[in-house]
Amino acid sequence: MSVVLPLLFLLSAASGTLVVLVREPRRQVFALSANGLVLALLFTGLQAPDVALSEIAVGTVAVPLIVLVALGAVRTDRPGQDAGSGENV
Amino acid sequence: MSPRLRVLLLGLAALVLAPCALAVIAAMPEFGTAIAPYGARINAVAPAERNIANMVTAINFDLRGLDTLGEEFMLLAAVTGTVVLLRGRRGERDGDRAARLPGRAVVPRSEAVILACRIAGPLTALFGLYVTVHASLTPGGGFQGGAVLASACVLIYLGEGYAGWRRGVRSAVLDAIEGGGALLVVLCGLGPMLVGAAFMQNVLPFGTFGALLSGGLVLVANLGVAAAVTAGFSQLVLEFLEETRAPRPDGADGGDDA
Repeated sequence: MSVVLPLLFLLSAASGTLVVLVREPRRQVFALSANGLVLALLFTGLQAPDVALSEIAVGTVAVPLIVLVALGAVRTDRPGQDAGSGENV
Repeated sequence: MSPRLRVLLLGLAALVLAPCALAVIAAMPEFGTAIAPYGARINAVAPAERNIANMVTAINFDLRGLDTLGEEFMLLAAVTGTVVLLRGRRGERDGDRAARLPGRAVVPRSEAVILACRIAGPLTALFGLYVTVHASLTPGGGFQGGAVLASACVLIYLGEGYAGWRRGVRSAVLDAIEGGGALLVVLCGLGPMLVGAAFMQNVLPFGTFGALLSGGLVLVANLGVAAAVTAGFSQLVLEFLEETRAPRPDGADGGDDA
């Protein structure tokens, strides 16, 4: 246990930094999801299974799914406009 | 705000806040050593007086049930606000196909994805129900179970595609489930008052310790929260999906409340 917890703390810091450093939204979603999974493992290690379950359900599944769905829907229903022109709005 | 000004602001804030933070960190008990007295008290009270094996559920749905009631309505308000913002002028009509970029090829789903979702969807839903009804026994409860159930709902979309999903998952039905779930939680508060007890007092029989039907009112409140969370998250996904669908030019969307 003494090795696992510091490892998980380091891993959560690393994956959290990764979320910030990844700039492409679609990849960022997966970085966020991975960060949620690491946090869930950390919470389990700290003996908080209820919080871990919430973190998996919300941080790893629900929020990334909503963002993915929104990214899929964004700028797809404007006839006569190409995908690049709305970039800097 | 220019980057220089931002760094300056950061430096100023760090100068003021860092000593305070360091002082608090230095005064904290050592990691993992201290267990708050409240925890010990709950460990003594919940199994003995409520027959609940999961202490977190005992706090959330019984001892501090009022907080959960407030949270429930926070979620309801957040979902309602998001729906109002995203829906805008678009109305509630659903199209027969998803919005898409003109000229972008529509890649059909592979049969492997459909099969995987048809297997994983029902199993995920079953697990969500399991997590919900075992609230007083194992980790989890209405909120976690509801989020898992909503994920199962999204798996239906991945497997069946837009048209099949919209045929199966109706916006009005989601509204009813969400409101009904919140209403059930409120009734858990008001119901005990009808028999002369206090607001949200656990008046139902507590059952035997470790049995599925234990904890009395806790299970009912959990079902209400699960229903509200499931429908709320599903509604959010639905609205984000529909976000960019343009209103029909003839204005049929606006007054249409199908």
